[in-house]
Amino acid sequence: MDAAAEALLRQTVRRIPSSKLNGVLGRWGCLSEAQLGSLESMQPKWLLCDNLISLCRENDLSMKHVAEVEMLYCIENPKRGMWYAYQMVETDDEAQSLELMHFRERFKAHLKDLIGHVSIKLKRHQDESVWIRIAWGDNFNRPNHLKPTYVMHHLQTPYVFVSGLTNKHKPLLFQALVLAAGYSSIKNAHLNGRCITALRDLLMRQYKQVFPSSCPKPLKESNPLPNPNIENEHAKLVEHKQRAAAEAFGYEDPPKLERATYKLETKYREHGNESLNGRDEPFRGVVKFTSSNLLESLKYCITSGMASTPLTPLLSSITQKGRNYFVIRDKGPSIASDTLGPDH
Amino acid sequence: MSSIKPFSKLPQLNTANVLLVENEGKLQNDLADAIVQQENNVNVTVRLARGLPLPAENEENRPRIDLVVFIVHLSSELSLVSTENSLKQLDTGYFLGKVCFLVTGARCGLVPDERLVSLRKLAGSLHCPLLFAEDQTREGVSTAAQRVLKILRVSAGLVPMVTGLYLSSLTRCTVPLDSDGSVQD
Repeated sequence: MDAAAEALLRQTVRRIPSSKLNGVLGRWGCLSEAQLGSLESMQPKWLLCDNLISLCRENDLSMKHVAEVEMLYCIENPKRGMWYAYQMVETDDEAQSLELMHFRERFKAHLKDLIGHVSIKLKRHQDESVWIRIAWGDNFNRPNHLKPTYVMHHLQTPYVFVSGLTNKHKPLLFQALVLAAGYSSIKNAHLNGRCITALRDLLMRQYKQVFPSSCPKPLKESNPLPNPNIENEHAKLVEHKQRAAAEAFGYEDPPKLERATYKLETKYREHGNESLNGRDEPFRGVVKFTSSNLLESLKYCITSGMASTPLTPLLSSITQKGRNYFVIRDKGPSIASDTLGPDH
Repeated sequence: MSSIKPFSKLPQLNTANVLLVENEGKLQNDLADAIVQQENNVNVTVRLARGLPLPAENEENRPRIDLVVFIVHLSSELSLVSTENSLKQLDTGYFLGKVCFLVTGARCGLVPDERLVSLRKLAGSLHCPLLFAEDQTREGVSTAAQRVLKILRVSAGLVPMVTGLYLSSLTRCTVPLDSDGSVQD
């Protein structure tokens, strides 16, 4: 057990809350029952850390094992940074029948071909997702385990979710991924957020959706015992707005996104203002919507009447296209410039 | 679309009807529950609306409305604008003591002062009372319900010797004297 492994173990233990620590170490499986029992979770973290390191020394554990405990915790609690979605395109037939062992071998071989000093770990989670942890090094340094890159991928789907990736390592990772999964290229899906399950649900359409229909069923019983003394004059309107909101952003708990960005490149059009009309360069502007749960906020805007219905396609395409970054360009002189919905 | 009139329908015995008008629908439901629960002696009916005029299909089963309460959230400009639009649709007979305003969010420092000032001017020019309420807490909502009920009982004619017009001339909001917002009640 060297200094780097110790540093990683300390960092990991610091990050895990005391209540979860015992469970994580139990699933890790590198310590015996007796050793686990000797660790008291009531101890202060630094003392517990020292005891844990001495136990690891006893068992002769190395960096490989310590990286495993970090990965275990990260898979179960993936809310530690921004996740970015990418989409692989142009599949060949092989990708449909790829299995994990094959993918693992090919990915490791391709990445090791590209860069010498790299440490890769692959793991399959309970929900069939494949998690990859990569610690990058270069010609002169050993892999830096303190800042690993995490990749989440479902086999047989084109989507890849990446966190903690630097620009320097981007081409290497993408080349290895594309070759291993049997695709020909990869592109940015323009979707990011802190909650990886939300991103996955949005792209794979796994959230509770409501589809437009000609004979709508009531969404839910709003009140099981309606008071006969209270009556809503606009019950139909409220129902209609709730339906419109659910159709746009999903029923009950929409996926949790933090932001949506719209880049505008529009031209000024009005008669009589030649100095602005004649510009070749478009006007550039950025509109950002941020919230701790953006789709829920947008839903509320509709139900409370702050946004008009039918909703502008610019907002509803967040869920329809599974993106939260858009560039709006002026196509030509015949098309009027796009306008955004109400700001809030 | 149908317009409501204060005396177009016959009153029912021991009954008071209140219409809560709110654009967002945030406070409406809680306040309606609180009002119905608090009053035991009189049969109180609460109608909820997003704005005026009211839809025509409920015309037949809608009772005589004794009091119209406009709920205004100072945190949103839209709330104030939609209240102003709704006021234009209201029958003039209601302004003789059968309208009141309920304002929330007046304690929040982030809210621009002009909204409250313009609302006071509005209430003052219409000779209507202006109530302040807290919408975040349970106690605030039940206090607001109590105050609305007090006015409702009078305007429904359930309190002997007092009429809505008489109460309203005592409790109405006065127009601020200065244009810069210093307000005297």
